[in-house]
Amino acid sequence: MRAPARSWARVLGNRVVARDTRWIELECPDVAAAASPGQFVMMGTGLSDVAAPFLPRPFSIGARDGDGRLGFLVREFGAGTRRLTRVEPGDELLILGPLGRPFHLSPDRAVLCLAGGVGLAPFLFVSAEARHEGCEVRIVYGERSGDRVFDLGLVREIAGVDPELRTDDGSLGARGLVIDDLDLGDRPQLLACGPDPMLRACVRLATEHDLPLQVSVEEHMGCGVGTCQGCVVLSATGEWIKSCTEGPVFDATELTWQT
Amino acid sequence: MADLSQRLFGVDFQSPVLLASGTCGYGEEYADLIPLERIGGLVTKAVSLEPRPGNPPHRVAETPGGMINAIGLQNVGLDRFRSEKLPWLSENLHDARVLINVVGHSVDDFGAVVSGLDGEEGFLGFEINVSCPNVADGTMFGTDKRALSDLVTRLRSLTERPLVVKLTPNVPDIDAYARICEEAGADGLSAINTFPGMLIDVERRRPVLGNVSGGVSGPAILPMGVFLTWRAAAAVSIPVIGIGGIRSGDDALQYILAGASLVQIGTALFVDPAAPVQVQEDIEGYLRRHGVERLSDLVGALSLPENLPERG
Ligand SMILES: Cc1cc2nc3c(=O)[nH]c(=O)nc-3n(C[C@H](O)[C@H](O)[C@H](O)COP(=O)(O)OP(=O)(O)OC[C@H]3O[C@@H](n4cnc5c(N)ncnc54)[C@H](O)[C@@H]3O)c2cc1C
Ligand SMILES: Cc1cc2nc3c(=O)[nH]c(=O)nc-3n(C[C@H](O)[C@H](O)[C@H](O)COP(=O)(O)O)c2cc1C
Ligand code: FES
Repeated sequence: MRAPARSWARVLGNRVVARDTRWIELECPDVAAAASPGQFVMMGTGLSDVAAPFLPRPFSIGARDGDGRLGFLVREFGAGTRRLTRVEPGDELLILGPLGRPFHLSPDRAVLCLAGGVGLAPFLFVSAEARHEGCEVRIVYGERSGDRVFDLGLVREIAGVDPELRTDDGSLGARGLVIDDLDLGDRPQLLACGPDPMLRACVRLATEHDLPLQVSVEEHMGCGVGTCQGCVVLSATGEWIKSCTEGPVFDATELTWQT
Repeated sequence: MADLSQRLFGVDFQSPVLLASGTCGYGEEYADLIPLERIGGLVTKAVSLEPRPGNPPHRVAETPGGMINAIGLQNVGLDRFRSEKLPWLSENLHDARVLINVVGHSVDDFGAVVSGLDGEEGFLGFEINVSCPNVADGTMFGTDKRALSDLVTRLRSLTERPLVVKLTPNVPDIDAYARICEEAGADGLSAINTFPGMLIDVERRRPVLGNVSGGVSGPAILPMGVFLTWRAAAAVSIPVIGIGGIRSGDDALQYILAGASLVQIGTALFVDPAAPVQVQEDIEGYLRRHGVERLSDLVGALSLPENLPERG
């Protein structure tokens, strides 16, 4: 893996793709050239201004192209993402990346991505790259309600597949959770990213069906590069390990899962 | 060309800018992003006798103008530090000066770490951390004059290397603590560590940090750091390292004018790893603009109003 770089990246585009959610494109050739699916960047506004986000925030790389462009799916959550979702073309953001361990795909199994909400972001990139290498990819994507569902045209354009949609309230797509009524007939490798309860459900599913599962976890981060030890998760052996450098992608068996 | 170097603790520091403990790991983690050999040096993450597991998450969160952390001094412990971390420092850093941040539950604990590292290569001296607010007994030595004096006296007897004591801001009379360290044989002081604080998630009605409380750092604490550095520096004749909220050359110069010989940058590294080099360049620009030949001429060069009222 290549060393991370620090660079100011120009905002090329920012469009609304669901309620409170933007697709933000940045010109960031160093990161684009080096990135692998599952990796993330720290995105911030630099030192001159202490308004949130003062500390940079982690975001999964959602897409990259050969022209040095990166795409991010950014959902407004608190003060930091409120500001980041309001950037305009021409603004500059300070980017550190690419960071973290990517997904590892075995070529002999189909890929099934289980995405909860904005956890869809890394799978856009996974799908684009894996399909390029001839892997079969399916994405099951869940949201609480239909108004939160991302522009499916954009998803198809980037990921190259139509996601199977689920909503908790059934207002769009099938009613239910991403793990409900799954076709596991081809014994796929499972990749999951989303809120904690969803990840735990995916772990139960993988155990039950004896399928390999990688998860991308979220924890508060300080540095993103392994110096502060702010981002820890509990390893299978009961130690706090850094999710920014040892993750954010883990094999599910590397972690302790509270049931 | 303005001269940023200073001779302190018997060696030359090529620049006054160091990386603060706990914010630069053991150096190696930032080697790709910060030209370590071009800055003054770094202070390692705290090293304790036994490995420490650290606190449950969340361990960090943003606060207005900074952050709060409760890492809980997670570290690999003396043995693994010596065998796994120190060799990298020894092989890779020659111009940058390294201080090892040391913590312990008791005088014996601190002593064992200092003795266990004293004969090794790859570092200049020790920064004794008596000021961590994020573990139960973290400020025990930093807020008890008798205990602090005993600790520094004992460590002084164990090493001839530079011994710097990192003070807590959490006392009403930092000047008295500064003097105690000097009298007990410390070679320098670092001021300051983080301020104790707490954040509450009102939706969940729960503390944000797994440890409930933590230490506040970043630009928000700059004025307190400058003030406490000024008070500590005025009380002693040993060098003081100014710490707290530095993110620009002007911030660093405030500490230097207040009496600091060196400064450390912590939280700002997370925001932009280019900060240390930028701060250095800003200081150089200031020296040129003001026709100051050597940085050391600025240390404590603060003009105070006449008839200064008693401070307290
Ligand atoms: C590896 C990784 C990849 C991510 N990818 C994406 C993505 O592609 N799209 C997206 O919309 N979001 C993503 N997130 C989550 C995103 O980083 C948070 O929503 C964001 O940090 C919240 O900041 P805030 O200031 O809006 O929230 P606030 O709640 O105001 O933030 C308060 C503090 O909590 C931290 N924080 C709160 N929630 C999270 C969280 N879920 N993860 C990390 N830190 C948090 C913030 O950094 C800040 O220090 C990712 C998180 C991680 C760890
Ligand atoms: C994440 C984090 C970890 C820290 N760990 C240590 C530590 O192990 N030992 C120590 O003496 N100080 C530690 N500190 C305190 C810093 O070294 C510094 O004194 C403080 O953060 C103020 O400087 P700043 O505002 O530039 O960050 C830590 C600070 C942070 C933010
Ligand atoms: S975010 Fe700092 S170590 Fe992971």
